[in-house]
Amino acid sequence: MIEITDVHKSFGATPVLNGISLKIEQGEVVCLIGASGSGKSTLLRCINALESYDAGEIKLLDQRVEQRSRHINHLRTQVGMVFQRFNLFPHRTALENVMEGPVHVKKELLHVAKRDAEELLNKVGLGHKLHYYPHQLSGGQQQRVAIARSLAMKPKAILFDEPTSALDPELVGEVLSVMRTLAKEGMTMLIVTHEMGFAREVADRVCFLHGGHIIEQGSAQQVLCAPREARTREFLRHVLGNRGETQSAPEGATGAAA
Amino acid sequence: MRWHDIVDFVPILLQGALMSIIITVGCLLLSTALGLVWALLKMSRYPAVVTAVSAMINVVRGLPMIVLLFYIYFVLPDFHIEVSALQASIIGLSFGYSTYVAEIIRSGIEAVDPGQYEAAQSIGMGRVKTMVRVILPQAVKVALPPYSNTLVMMLKDSSLASTITVAEMTRQGQLIAASTFQNITVYTLVAIGYLLMSLPLMSMTRHLERRFGKHKAKK
Repeated sequence: MIEITDVHKSFGATPVLNGISLKIEQGEVVCLIGASGSGKSTLLRCINALESYDAGEIKLLDQRVEQRSRHINHLRTQVGMVFQRFNLFPHRTALENVMEGPVHVKKELLHVAKRDAEELLNKVGLGHKLHYYPHQLSGGQQQRVAIARSLAMKPKAILFDEPTSALDPELVGEVLSVMRTLAKEGMTMLIVTHEMGFAREVADRVCFLHGGHIIEQGSAQQVLCAPREARTREFLRHVLGNRGETQSAPEGATGAAA
Repeated sequence: MRWHDIVDFVPILLQGALMSIIITVGCLLLSTALGLVWALLKMSRYPAVVTAVSAMINVVRGLPMIVLLFYIYFVLPDFHIEVSALQASIIGLSFGYSTYVAEIIRSGIEAVDPGQYEAAQSIGMGRVKTMVRVILPQAVKVALPPYSNTLVMMLKDSSLASTITVAEMTRQGQLIAASTFQNITVYTLVAIGYLLMSLPLMSMTRHLERRFGKHKAKK
């Protein structure tokens, strides 16, 4: 589904990605963890060509991802993205935000798109907020609209870029629970997150990034509870506040993310 | 100042006012269209286009509006391009103002959160559609207060058309004054005429500033 082979990227003289390879199969939930500046968000943004990369290759559904390609917009319709800062369209209601892609990119019929959008907003628990504008919604609600907006394109995979990092701690749960549902339904998900408890619960695989490399990857259990690499251990100790394991992670992880 | 003079002059001046309004509205529409084009070209990904448009904008801004009008009205006919005085005044003012409008639109566009482009791209929207459906509606809110301020300036500068024989309010005033020598009465009426049009526009500007200023703070 997503195939990343030896990808390099630098911002000016600063290398951010130093030869990253990662393969994500359909239905897999992969969490990327690591300190800020480790390259995890950049990697994510390269996958739908919001950033270009200097060397290597990224393939999405067997097509090469290239920022300048003429097919890039079509390719982007097949992979959703959820941003840290939600990035909802502030001049459109929740319903219009969700309908925007289907109606104006995929050219779906208005009443079909409306019905689907209502269904999706219901699914994320916002069926009663269809006609609210983003500024009238809480952060957690906005992020759930954003998830519905990316789902409306019927993507084959969704990229999450720290979806709960901009939220007040008490709003993190509602967003995670929507994501949990998606994971259970078999959506392919690549998630950059600081929520270690969540990662442990839903991730099929966890990758730890450091200095533009994937230092360690494996099952959530293995990477988060029994990390082999010293740098992973050190990072987890930092994030989890010296507990070194994730038994009661939610509060600890939330605190670290905030 | 005699009452029956006023009664005589006002209908003539009102005709002029109507012409002033026609010039202002024409200038508003044309300069907005041109300004939008300049602004978008100036953000083009081709450096040559950006350089050319920036140079053109600088040239136009460096010229007095009145010279622009003279150029279009008196010089273009030498190249066998005939324009009426009204057309020349609208085209000239629009051209001059389009450069200001371009800067206003550009600053509005640049004020839109880059995350909005990314969100639009992430659902596969193309460049043009992103501009029209996502960026411009938000840019308008930022640009509206300075834009409405420019509208007031356009109204006042429509009086420049009097210099190329357009019978707008200032010109009508001049004509009446020249034939009746009622300078105080005539020019007081002309001044009042402009104020009656510009003061409401200015209060609209203040209203817009308050309204959209508040919206931004709420976000």
